[in-house]
Amino acid sequence: MTWIRHSDFYGEAHTISDAEMILSQQREGSAPPVPTEEEIERHYWRRWRRAAAYPAIVFIMIWRKLVSPLYGQVCGFYPSCSAYGLEAVTVHGLFRGSALTAWRILRCNPFTGGGINHVPASPRVWPEEELPEIVRLNHPPIPRDPD
Amino acid sequence: MAFLDTIMWPFSWAVSFILSTWHSLLTMVGLPEGSGWNWALSILLLVLVIRIILIPLFVRQIKSQRGMQIIQPELQKLQAKYKGKKDPVSRQAQVAEQQALFKRNKVNPFMTCLPILAQMPIFLALFWCLNRIGGSGRMGTSDVDYQEEGYYALSSSEVTSFANSRIFEVGMPDTFLGAVQGDPALMGGTVAVIVLTTVMIVMMVSTQFFTQKQLMQKNMSEAALTGQFAQTQKIMLYALPLVFIFGGVYFPVGVLIYWTATNFWTMGQQWWVIRNNPTPGSLAEKELNLRRATKGLPPVGEDARKAREEAEKPKGQHKGPTAQPKKKKKKKKKGQR
Repeated sequence: MTWIRHSDFYGEAHTISDAEMILSQQREGSAPPVPTEEEIERHYWRRWRRAAAYPAIVFIMIWRKLVSPLYGQVCGFYPSCSAYGLEAVTVHGLFRGSALTAWRILRCNPFTGGGINHVPASPRVWPEEELPEIVRLNHPPIPRDPD
Repeated sequence: MAFLDTIMWPFSWAVSFILSTWHSLLTMVGLPEGSGWNWALSILLLVLVIRIILIPLFVRQIKSQRGMQIIQPELQKLQAKYKGKKDPVSRQAQVAEQQALFKRNKVNPFMTCLPILAQMPIFLALFWCLNRIGGSGRMGTSDVDYQEEGYYALSSSEVTSFANSRIFEVGMPDTFLGAVQGDPALMGGTVAVIVLTTVMIVMMVSTQFFTQKQLMQKNMSEAALTGQFAQTQKIMLYALPLVFIFGGVYFPVGVLIYWTATNFWTMGQQWWVIRNNPTPGSLAEKELNLRRATKGLPPVGEDARKAREEAEKPKGQHKGPTAQPKKKKKKKKKGQR
């Protein structure tokens, strides 16, 4: 099984390609399996610890489906506040995730310049196919410019 | 209303305080205390105070707008790069790149509407003030008789004076809608109120329209005039006047004075900026350079850049004795690259 770390998305280039590279190296066997025993253990244990965040995750997902489209793209940041919130709660859990989200929403005002602002990396690991969609979406690979 | 009043408290207080102060000063200078002109002038001076406070915000808005216009070509390049890539991940990548581009050029999409947003609480405070002190049967009138209690920093005698003051036989709290509906609290004659409010609404809307039009015609670079941004500006050009026409019928005369005056201020401010500091590549810049040329001054902005590039180009035909060192220089440059 191939595993993926949240921090894999925080390489030099800040893109998913780093994560993909690590994955392919794992498949070839040239890189050691990413998660240590401890990390895998933590992953299963966290299933229960994460339960508290599920209502928040569902709430933000519904918000993004129903409410966000009403006002369109107005956030000065990337990822947008709701995408940030979803990722934060998903990877950091209810308490830290909510705090991070609240702080981000406070910063989302005309006086901060906006720009790229990712959720801080968390120690979470996932089997490749369990990686939450939002993590993939928030860290898209930036294609090279044609020139 | 009570909750909104709590939020609005500082603004209501500030507006009434500024009005009260100017009114006292003008009375001291010798204007009749109960005259509508005294109060109208106080409102104009309120506009002056507010707009001076908002100048830094305006400067930031101009910078942001300029940045937005300057990056238009880069934005179009981005759109071309992601053309046809409709999957969510690519779309996210495009948004990410766009946001980074905004940040690099200090463009803040919020900034475009901030000066108008920042004025909203002030406008609302004045609107409520005039609506409430004016008598009965109006929107937002509560049970409190402000003419007895006073309104925030305005004392009861000042509120009474304000509510009963007239210009052209029209009361400060009178509205177009009130006149049309035959509101018994109307201070002036129906016809007088309708005429004055109509004139003021027309002035308010036309200054708004003209300012926006001027901005688009003169101060946007050619690249900016074709993009998505231009489309938004065009919608603003026609939508905002509509909003003000339909809103204007509810505005008391005092609010119409405020809004018309503030629009004139914006117009003057923009005229000054366009004249002296136009956007690179815009029509206004060409005009500025024409004016500079007649005075014998070198061009600025886009033309200056072109002129510099022109001067740097090696000229093939006229190789005099001075050609030699120039050529050497050029070779050196090439070698370095």
